[in-house]
Amino acid sequence: MNSLDSAPRAHAGWIVVKFGGTSVSTRPRWDTIGRIARDWHAQGKRVLIVVSALSGITDKLKAIAEAGGDSERRLQLKAEIAARHEAMFDELGLADRATLQYWLDRLAALAADTRAETAELPWQAEVLALGEQMSSTLGQAYLSAQGLTTRWLDARQHLLAQALPNQNAWNCYLSASVPTAPDAAFAAGLAAQGEVFISQGFMARNAAGETVILGRGGSDTSAAYFGALLKAEKVEIWTDVAGMFSANPRIVPSARLLSRLDYEEAQEIATTGAKVLHPRCLNPVREAQVPLVVRDTNRPELAGTEIRASVAAAAPSVKAVSERRGITLISMESIGMWQQVGFLADVFERFKRHGLSIDLISSAETNVTVSLDPSENLVNSDVLSALAADLAEVCRVKVIAPCTAVTLVGRGMRSLLPRLAGVLAEFDLLRVHLVSQSSNNLNLTIVVDEAAADGLVPTLHAALIKTEALRAEDPAVFGPAWSELYASATSRAETPWWRLRRDDLLQMAAQQTPRYVYDLATVRERARRLRSLAATDRWFYALKANSHPSVLQAIADEGFGLECVSPAELERAAALVPADRLLFTPNFAPQHEYAAAFGLGARVTLDNLYPLQHWGETFRGREIILRVDLGTGRGHHDKVRTGGAGSKFGLSLDQVEEFRQLARRFDVAVVGLHAHLGSGILDTGHWREVYAQLAALAQRFTRIEAINIGGGLGVPTRPDDAPLDLAALDACLVEIKQAYPQFQLWMEPGRYLVAEAGVLVARVTQTKRKGEYRYVGVDAGMNSLIRPALYDAWHEIVNLTREHDTADTLYQVVGPICESGDVLGSNRRLPECRDGDVILIAQAGAYGASMASHYNLRIPAGESVV
Amino acid sequence: MPLSDPRKAAAFRFIRAGYRDGVAQLVYAFDQGSELVERITFPDAPVLPPEREAAFAAALKLLHFVAGVSYYKAGVPGLIVVENGEPDTPTAQLLDALYLHGLGEFAYQNGLDLREHIRFPRAGTFTPATALGLPARSLLPIGGGKDSLVSAELLRQHGENATAVWVGNSPLIAACVVQTGLPGLNIRRELAPELFEYNKAGAWNGHIPVTAINSAILVLAALLYGYDSIVFSNERSASSATLEYDGQAVNHQWSKSWEFEQSLAAWLRSHVAADLNYCSLLRPLSELAVTRLFAREVRYDAFFSSCNRNFRILGPRPADRWCGHCPKCHFVFLALAPFVPKPRLLGIFGRNLLDDDTQQQGFDALLEFHGHKPFECVGEGRESRAALYALSERPEWREDALVARFRQVVLPQLDAAELDLDALLRPAGPQGLPPRLAGIPDALC
Repeated sequence: MNSLDSAPRAHAGWIVVKFGGTSVSTRPRWDTIGRIARDWHAQGKRVLIVVSALSGITDKLKAIAEAGGDSERRLQLKAEIAARHEAMFDELGLADRATLQYWLDRLAALAADTRAETAELPWQAEVLALGEQMSSTLGQAYLSAQGLTTRWLDARQHLLAQALPNQNAWNCYLSASVPTAPDAAFAAGLAAQGEVFISQGFMARNAAGETVILGRGGSDTSAAYFGALLKAEKVEIWTDVAGMFSANPRIVPSARLLSRLDYEEAQEIATTGAKVLHPRCLNPVREAQVPLVVRDTNRPELAGTEIRASVAAAAPSVKAVSERRGITLISMESIGMWQQVGFLADVFERFKRHGLSIDLISSAETNVTVSLDPSENLVNSDVLSALAADLAEVCRVKVIAPCTAVTLVGRGMRSLLPRLAGVLAEFDLLRVHLVSQSSNNLNLTIVVDEAAADGLVPTLHAALIKTEALRAEDPAVFGPAWSELYASATSRAETPWWRLRRDDLLQMAAQQTPRYVYDLATVRERARRLRSLAATDRWFYALKANSHPSVLQAIADEGFGLECVSPAELERAAALVPADRLLFTPNFAPQHEYAAAFGLGARVTLDNLYPLQHWGETFRGREIILRVDLGTGRGHHDKVRTGGAGSKFGLSLDQVEEFRQLARRFDVAVVGLHAHLGSGILDTGHWREVYAQLAALAQRFTRIEAINIGGGLGVPTRPDDAPLDLAALDACLVEIKQAYPQFQLWMEPGRYLVAEAGVLVARVTQTKRKGEYRYVGVDAGMNSLIRPALYDAWHEIVNLTREHDTADTLYQVVGPICESGDVLGSNRRLPECRDGDVILIAQAGAYGASMASHYNLRIPAGESVV
Repeated sequence: MPLSDPRKAAAFRFIRAGYRDGVAQLVYAFDQGSELVERITFPDAPVLPPEREAAFAAALKLLHFVAGVSYYKAGVPGLIVVENGEPDTPTAQLLDALYLHGLGEFAYQNGLDLREHIRFPRAGTFTPATALGLPARSLLPIGGGKDSLVSAELLRQHGENATAVWVGNSPLIAACVVQTGLPGLNIRRELAPELFEYNKAGAWNGHIPVTAINSAILVLAALLYGYDSIVFSNERSASSATLEYDGQAVNHQWSKSWEFEQSLAAWLRSHVAADLNYCSLLRPLSELAVTRLFAREVRYDAFFSSCNRNFRILGPRPADRWCGHCPKCHFVFLALAPFVPKPRLLGIFGRNLLDDDTQQQGFDALLEFHGHKPFECVGEGRESRAALYALSERPEWREDALVARFRQVVLPQLDAAELDLDALLRPAGPQGLPPRLAGIPDALC
């Protein structure tokens, strides 16, 4: 309720709040708008509410505008629009319908207007404007009826569009721009009329007084215009997401909310991919120095993303990584003389002639390469062909497409270059066509082949965090991950087993450290989880991950076969499972190992021509599985990628035919195809692709019974990683299985079964302070757990002794090995540690003990089972 | 009980064929081995009108014979035995030709000579079929590639009452059918599971004339649901041989050839129904003429695929539909290129196959430059040469790796007079369309 003591003073500041279509389409949503406006009002502010049309209405109005001579269709759409607003009127429980009726009559008149036949632009603009006029009318009545006296403001009276040079008639009416600057007289005049106002997004008037439309992102832009005119204290864009994120959350669920950006960074992020804010709305608020905030209507407790002038002292950090697909590059090689005057002018004039606008540019002495954003025009007309013909008069043209432009955004990009070394390594093996870095130091854009760009943004995002080029730990800039905020379905509610067995673990540690402890119940649970997949016919456990006899027994008991890569592994496995559950998949093994494997009755996998070329008789009459290299590797680190020419695994696809001929010569039946492209993969699309490619390849063989798509099932490591969605994986495998029912599907996970089942417990030896760094030494080193050193793997580390103390000290957790890489975890927050404290390193069940060594002649951690 | 190797069998037996409640059952065996039962399911099958029963029985018999090729090829025994009524002489001749030529590539790949093996027994005569008064409408088989989608557009523009039909379970084809806007009919086909067991036991395997099997299935569908025309989308180049082997012409797509179309069409008129048309709408057109027509319509861009490696899977990305490495991908890319804006083409395939050195061999095969045309349904060598020549004259293409190589290495060895694209776009040659459809290809001149 309004009360006298909360009434704004004469000089009270303005707050502009903007709400989109879904926010104005139900009564509860209007109550939310009322609550937000009332809160500001109660804080002594004047409030201007800017609204979009009800959901779906602008599309219907657009359909009327485009219906041309089809008057029946126009009347039909008009009736639908009227009915929707009548229903909203009733839902809001409003009484006086005169004002709504005025707009509905306008709609009827415009729908029947003769200008509809030719779709005249001024008429179209009037039609399109009706949605906001009606929604704001309903809103004014409802909010006032709820006790928040709200005045209706006609946006067209205050926003005057100005024609720009080179603007055609369509743009003048349907994509207009409004120059705005703070107007104290306007603000004072409005203040004299009231305290809470509601107006329309998306529209303005032109010099002739006609209605014009602001085009895409128009309502956000309207709010920005009003914010600038009023020199508001703040413009709030209320939407259905908490703000801008460090990457598109749909492909990177661990993307972090950006708490604060400067105008230029926000503009760059909005331009290079983020959809939450239209880039057009940033210029008006930047010029007027008005802060703009993006907030989530459903989660008003979140502060959202605040965009304002840059803070000089901020440490440079990458703020976001984004991608734009469907980019076309035009590379132009000069054919004229060296340092030819006017070459660029000649070239750019031709782009202008064909109405094509250039985005990125990079140049060398004899070459200039530019990028064109995707457009209907390029795809559906011959404009590119005509442009190339014109360009060919002055240079040699090469069209490179389709490309994806990946952009890192953040102020001070150049000073980040040293940190980016590890990030840029992700571009290894990709065809990079262009690199561009603007002199305003805000961005770094790399253009690559689109076919190779899948999965690149998530990988880069993870690498940016790992190298701390994206300072995710800086709370001034970064908020929570999207998956923490929204993905209840993907949240990891499970408490790890070792938290429940803390006392047991402390007791075991008192007897002997360092030692690995495995929880067999977790192993069995993971095995059953996998067995529940409908698509997979047979499971094999890659025993190199953890070959502890009790672990193997538990897995064998769950019906898994065992995948072995050495004779010793085969021997251990053969004691546990019958021969038909043994898989021998060695790499560069000597001849006698294959013979021995056949002797044990194991299924043997070949991945090279050499064994058949040189030892064909060893394989004569045998059934074998062929491992191929599908060409591209995936995974969490270079050293676990097992696909691509740079990897030693798998037969190259261009040698498959030769392999078939050799197999035929020795009467070898190829009964299975196998590929394994990497480890730690969390994206289900990866196996779908491998499966589809192998099944398609299998059609070239006559005896294939099974497709083995390998393992690599990822285990989330960091707290904000989304776990692998097994149901989604199953669904996409089932889809392919239906297309190829003749082949069995095999999989051979390792890490997935055992990683979370194992922990490494160690004791603190010493602590050290050196400069700003705090070190805590433990009695387990890289000779026990080499993954952090070898793969840059991240393991959760806790002080089990002081589990309930506040983790307030930033430590580097290191081992006793004389090797600078003997770091188990860097920058970990732990309670203050003392010697003798028990430190637990989680997710150490896979590739821990099995990769241990006696380096420094230190005995690696022992193994126990609980 | 494990199945024995069918290659050791003495005879292949046609045992019986039946139809009940929308399901046709076809039964075969090698020697005294287990019965091999194939099932074809027609959805929502209506009751067969009595006047079509005789025709249906003849068509079912044909399907039994034709579909037998999938099983026969597992062992290619020297003796063919028909236990449920031997075919008359013209039918036996049709089948001999189908088995011999339709398995031509299979024989070449497996190093077999089938001339001594394939001879259907024959007995009796036949009474010429009469007209059944079938409704004037068309069944249009959709394969998910460009050809049948071009036909769908042509038939729709012509106002033909057509139903899009497909055999099997392919999400990609189903999605294409939705895009055509035509009513759809999905016929299911289940192979005898023992065939996979035979394959494991070492059976012969390879290419079979699948278009002939689908044709025979659609004859049953036409009689069952009431259609007077089965309109395929086979074009002119389907008639040209892939290579010569041991004195025989081997054509990968023999069952898409004019020779097969003509002989099956004549057999259907004489043995099934005098008013049943079996034809190909695109027969007078070259592959290039078809791709030019396809280029007119953008609505299939994100759905269609001619790739035989990835075609079963429908995925959102181009790489899900186009493997990018097979002859079909190479050919369709090349054949569309002269007619489609470059960004659109690259968007369809997700990559530029002509700017990739590793694809050189594949394109050379299409050009018939070193080696024979691939065993795939691809256009004639002169079509590929003319298309690549056209691109080499275009500034937006000519710097691409394989186009540049064509100009430097291949072009100087070609006869310039043979490179005229326009000449290849003109309809030519015979066609077997019923009068109401005959004007469609003519109108494209």
